[in-house]
Amino acid sequence: MRKKIIGIVCTAALIMGLFSGCASGSNNGGTKEAISSTDMAGEDTAASSEKVTIRFATNWGPGDAKYDYFYPLFEKYAEENKDKVEIKLETLSTEDYKTKIRTETASGNLPDVFTWWGGSMIIDMVDAGLLLNVDDYFTMTDKTSKENFDSSAFGYYTLTDGTYGFPLESTRPVFIANKALFDEYGLSYPKTYEELKEVSKVFNENGIIPIAMASKNGTPSEFFFSELHSQFKGAEEELVNMGTTRNFATDNALKTAEAITDMINQGMFPEDTVANGDWGPCLQLYCDGKAAMTYTYPWMFESMTDDAQEFSECIPVPKLDGATNDPSTFVSGFTVYGAVVNKASFEDPAKQQALVDFIDFLTSDDLTLALTQSGMIPAKQVEYDMDDMKPIFKKMIEFCEGKELTSVHYTTMPDLEALNMLDASLDELFIQAITPEEFLDKVQAELDK
Amino acid sequence: MIKQRKDNIFAFFFILPVFAVYTCFLILPMISSAFYSLNEWNGVADKIFIGMGNYKTLIASSDYWITFWNTLKLVIVTLAVQISLGLLIAYLLYNKMKGLKIFRTIYFLPVVIAPVAIGLMFSLFYNSEIGIFNRLLEAVGLDSWNKNWLSDQGVLLGAVIAPQAWQYIGMYITIFIAALQSVPEELVESAQIDGANNRQRFFHIIVPQMGYFIEISMILCVTGALKSFDHSWIMTNGGPGVRSAYLGVYMYKTAFVNSDFGLGSAISVTIVSLALIFTLVLKAITGRINKE
Repeated sequence: MRKKIIGIVCTAALIMGLFSGCASGSNNGGTKEAISSTDMAGEDTAASSEKVTIRFATNWGPGDAKYDYFYPLFEKYAEENKDKVEIKLETLSTEDYKTKIRTETASGNLPDVFTWWGGSMIIDMVDAGLLLNVDDYFTMTDKTSKENFDSSAFGYYTLTDGTYGFPLESTRPVFIANKALFDEYGLSYPKTYEELKEVSKVFNENGIIPIAMASKNGTPSEFFFSELHSQFKGAEEELVNMGTTRNFATDNALKTAEAITDMINQGMFPEDTVANGDWGPCLQLYCDGKAAMTYTYPWMFESMTDDAQEFSECIPVPKLDGATNDPSTFVSGFTVYGAVVNKASFEDPAKQQALVDFIDFLTSDDLTLALTQSGMIPAKQVEYDMDDMKPIFKKMIEFCEGKELTSVHYTTMPDLEALNMLDASLDELFIQAITPEEFLDKVQAELDK
Repeated sequence: MIKQRKDNIFAFFFILPVFAVYTCFLILPMISSAFYSLNEWNGVADKIFIGMGNYKTLIASSDYWITFWNTLKLVIVTLAVQISLGLLIAYLLYNKMKGLKIFRTIYFLPVVIAPVAIGLMFSLFYNSEIGIFNRLLEAVGLDSWNKNWLSDQGVLLGAVIAPQAWQYIGMYITIFIAALQSVPEELVESAQIDGANNRQRFFHIIVPQMGYFIEISMILCVTGALKSFDHSWIMTNGGPGVRSAYLGVYMYKTAFVNSDFGLGSAISVTIVSLALIFTLVLKAITGRINKE
């Protein structure tokens, strides 16, 4: 009898455990870091009538270049406002973060505020009415206005009927050359493709990779492709109008793909373009002196060694054969990242003021200036002290001054699947598994679907 | 009669937790996936019922068939490598009992390392600029074997399969050592007295005695291969294109990268179907062998 009672108690405990497990399973499983231990917002609101909970998700977590600049200010804000609002910070690395947000979108469990990309990444969310039109926020705040941002900054988050994100980060690429290596071999920076070929020959003979450029999941090759594409006549119009024309497979795109194939054949890139793909490995080759040039973006500046920042000089991408636009007169420039707000949360009267305050914080000059120190170019107009900036940042700003800004496929591609196909096909082009024509066909086929 | 009923109720309570867990976390998600696979759904907008539309798309998709064959190759390689090497090493260790525990631990070590770490480690090893594989080949005078392991179509898939096939050999060694220890010694000894040599004892006495262990190991191996994801994802993101992707990676890319949850669910249904088919076929084959 006693054994049976013990058995029943154990069984009951198991069942209770199971159901409590199920209950906690409804929470967000992807959270890596939370500033508090409380659970869902609704439950919290019920527990304390005044205090609300906001979920803020971002990829600016530990390990990200912005974390060290973002987190102290975030912590300060959370502490100062702890009586009114509890902010749950949910961070993951970029790829996991994308999966988290897509899963939470599908399960109807979007965070209240989250950092996110614009363009093709928000189209489905906006169509489903999930994101706040930022004008609703600007009518409620006296801390900032649209005029405080760069005039073109909102374009990345603007769809036909409104603007659905707050631009935080703008960007410019840098094509950098290792001055020490060029001096060592008595070479000048190449201005034309012919000169680039000559320089590459010398570097290859000495066991140095001419350009640290590779392709893993389209990184960083996709941006380099756009940069080269901009050298051809009418390229900018093609990109700007891609949303309506849905035309990728143009003569300019073909010339660019052919140029890349030729660069591969000339041995300008690392041989193993998958293993050396992604921002980190490419920059590593360059910083280690194994490559003479590379093409990178400010979000990698935090990973650049002091030496590399010193020996680097920003130079124009050499002009390709048949190019009409002078690469020394333009540079890619675009808003690349920002924050979006869950419309349903904003319309919840209990949360609205807390959300307005939190967006005030996200778009504040203080946070913007702090993030700038990580190498970020702010989308908001703020005055920053150049002396606080990294040497490579100063060189980049100096180099980009007065240059015309051009678009990139990353922000103008009208369809997420086509953008992913562009990335995947670039990987194939880089290992020469497909021809330039096949590359164009694959991306165009996705746009034609 | 009353005692029987009480026992049944008691047994029911013990089964209930497992039944509930399986229902909540396995059966219901599988049914949901099957339902999603019949819809066009980007995870945001309303679902549109399209019947077998997603399956037709898959059949017409060259990417699906590339990943299908990649997965099949992985199944064959892992079966061949993990089961045969696992059995062989386990038998060698069993016969040389000295240091068995140490060797078993050493062989088992890779199994407990996260596949992500193994994938990352091998992607560094493979790197033609900084990796050790090509350097090792050069050191032993095999420069001509140097490859761009992850960028050469000819060896790419093999390079991605290899770490996975290697990592789990230890698991099967451990299973087979346990199986070998359960083989009655009298049987082996009597065969020895009858004049059976080592090879004959292994194939005619020991292997038949381990039939059920081998069957379970093969099922574990096949289902493990069918749900493979980490190694391929970490080393190459399944690319270039989908050239080193398995069905699991293709499903992830489709559902979570392209936000096509309907098509992604259809892929996951085909993975489950394949696992069921493989399991049934393996059970039928090993069942017949065991009977004989």
